[in-house]
Amino acid sequence: MRGYLGIDVGSVSTNIVFLSERGEVCEAVYLRTRGQPIRALQEGLGELRRRLPAEVSVLGVGATGSGRYLAGLVTGADVIKNEITSHAVAASTLVPGVQTVIEIGGQDSKLIILRGGIVADFAMNTVCAAGTGSFLDQQAARLGIPIEDFGRLALQSSAPVRIAGRCAVFAESDMIHKQQMGYSLADILAGLCEALVRNYLNNVGKGKEILPPVVFQGGVAANAGMKRAFEKALGMEVIVPPYYHVMGAVGAALLAREKMAARRPSKFKGFGVTEARFQAAGFECGGCPNACEVVELREGGEVLARWGDRCGRWSSSLGLQNVG
Amino acid sequence: MPRIGIPRALLYYHYFPWWEAFFVSLGAEVVISPPTTKAILDRGLEHAADDVCLPVKVAVGHVLELKDRVDAIFLPRLVSVAAREYICPKFLGLPEMVGHSIKGLPPLLSPGLNLYRGGSPYHFFAALGRALGYPPWQVLAAYRRACRVQQQYKRLLESGLFPEEALAALRGRHDAAAPRDTMGSPLVAVIGHPYNIYDAFVSMDLLGKLGRRGIKVITADSLSEENVCRGAAHLPKRLFWTLGRRTVGAAYHYLQWGRVDGMIHVSSFACGPDSFAGEFIARRAHRMGLPFLSLVLDEHSGEAGMVTRLEAFLDMVERRKKYREEGSAS
Repeated sequence: MRGYLGIDVGSVSTNIVFLSERGEVCEAVYLRTRGQPIRALQEGLGELRRRLPAEVSVLGVGATGSGRYLAGLVTGADVIKNEITSHAVAASTLVPGVQTVIEIGGQDSKLIILRGGIVADFAMNTVCAAGTGSFLDQQAARLGIPIEDFGRLALQSSAPVRIAGRCAVFAESDMIHKQQMGYSLADILAGLCEALVRNYLNNVGKGKEILPPVVFQGGVAANAGMKRAFEKALGMEVIVPPYYHVMGAVGAALLAREKMAARRPSKFKGFGVTEARFQAAGFECGGCPNACEVVELREGGEVLARWGDRCGRWSSSLGLQNVG
Repeated sequence: MPRIGIPRALLYYHYFPWWEAFFVSLGAEVVISPPTTKAILDRGLEHAADDVCLPVKVAVGHVLELKDRVDAIFLPRLVSVAAREYICPKFLGLPEMVGHSIKGLPPLLSPGLNLYRGGSPYHFFAALGRALGYPPWQVLAAYRRACRVQQQYKRLLESGLFPEEALAALRGRHDAAAPRDTMGSPLVAVIGHPYNIYDAFVSMDLLGKLGRRGIKVITADSLSEENVCRGAAHLPKRLFWTLGRRTVGAAYHYLQWGRVDGMIHVSSFACGPDSFAGEFIARRAHRMGLPFLSLVLDEHSGEAGMVTRLEAFLDMVERRKKYREEGSAS
């Protein structure tokens, strides 16, 4: 069996997929990053290895997500791409003709506008996290509801409550108020979904032309209440594709396939990296008043890479690529 | 021989040669603060009012950097540099803000420059010369020389050099004077105030990042005033902020020109004029189908978020270019 690895190391989850030569998803692993991206990556690769047949051959590796450079160094990726391009490539391959991609993850949310199969415009949330999955996570926890049941419960609502969703802090006090007034849980949950959608469309979607087909992906797309709230707000069908939760990794694998079409050898270090001992440590450089926080990645005793310095004093001292 | 400190901030990028030549002709020594560092920004944040924009906070940090090294700090009160136009009010109040929030400062040289009703900037320099105690004939000669140097600087900028390169060329470093090659591609227009885009710390080295990725960059500063005016004439109403008019005018000019493959608008959080200038530019760029990226800078900006946006923007530029070239080839 031959194919491509796609790795998406995000702030909340680490996703790895194995794509066949024809571009079909064979296996997908979804793990929580839990603040330890290297360990999550090693665990994920180990899990994938167990699920794949023994004679598997990796033709190329793509890495994406906020931990893409780290993941690329650890595994030996052939392509390191940002999340926006990866998500766009995955959506336009799995849902041909897509014109709008809504992606909501744990810590960030994106809107990608495609025209004729290529990205025409995009936006990401700025400093505020009120339009992201962690907002829902937090509120569900406050209400004592497992996040997995959130969507199903929200769908039972017939009259969603209006909740001020501009800010997570105010949303919470507003929710408590509505709760004390006696609204049902389902109506409050559906109201939360609508508040988040409103917030997303006002901030991330500001000034963007949202045309169908609309694809909704990222971890939050699991929430059926969110899908319905988007459909209601946009007045059009919203498609949640299969593998919606690992689309970034699918996109990275597709980009690796595109790059390796010329049949060059992959830089993949092999599944043995799951056993290797990696250590990442930071230190503050005292070379100038910038006091950059430099991160160093070691494998065994050897320094693989350094980054975080503005001037290149540390990152270039190894003759390796300047990350970022 | 008095030592006069000039902060490497705000309109330094527009007018430094003018000011320096004036002081040097009078026999003064000019000290510039070093390029912005994290320590300079941190000290600026401590001493600046909360609600000012990032570049003003940076400027306050530069004043602190000069504080114990010079006899006087040159911090002009820039009200207006062109007829019927204004400079941002935060620049106007800067001498007061600095004077009241920093203790133990050397004297501030803060003559006012106000050309709102027209007139010559000579009065500004005359007041400056008087304050330093030089005779009028010497001040006039220094002013004339300063104007010649500033003209030369403008010509260097219009030939495509970035400010620090043009300054090096003025100092006789002719290797720096090679005109920027904008042929070949991709070509990206970076639009924003010079104190944001050329300050590598504030912009998180945007120009360096683009250069290392093989992107060619043009900015508003290589455009003549006529081109900027023609660009700004597309607005339904005259913009009376000089810097905002330059931003919109230059962006509109490049959109009309049709040779750029993408445009990046750089603005600072809490900048009023930038917030709508950016919107004007974004709408026109979208109508014309040009890849456009808006980067908003503030002291909390994480570099990771900026790099992700920049990479996605460049992918958009390159994929669109490839797609168009394939389209026209077939």
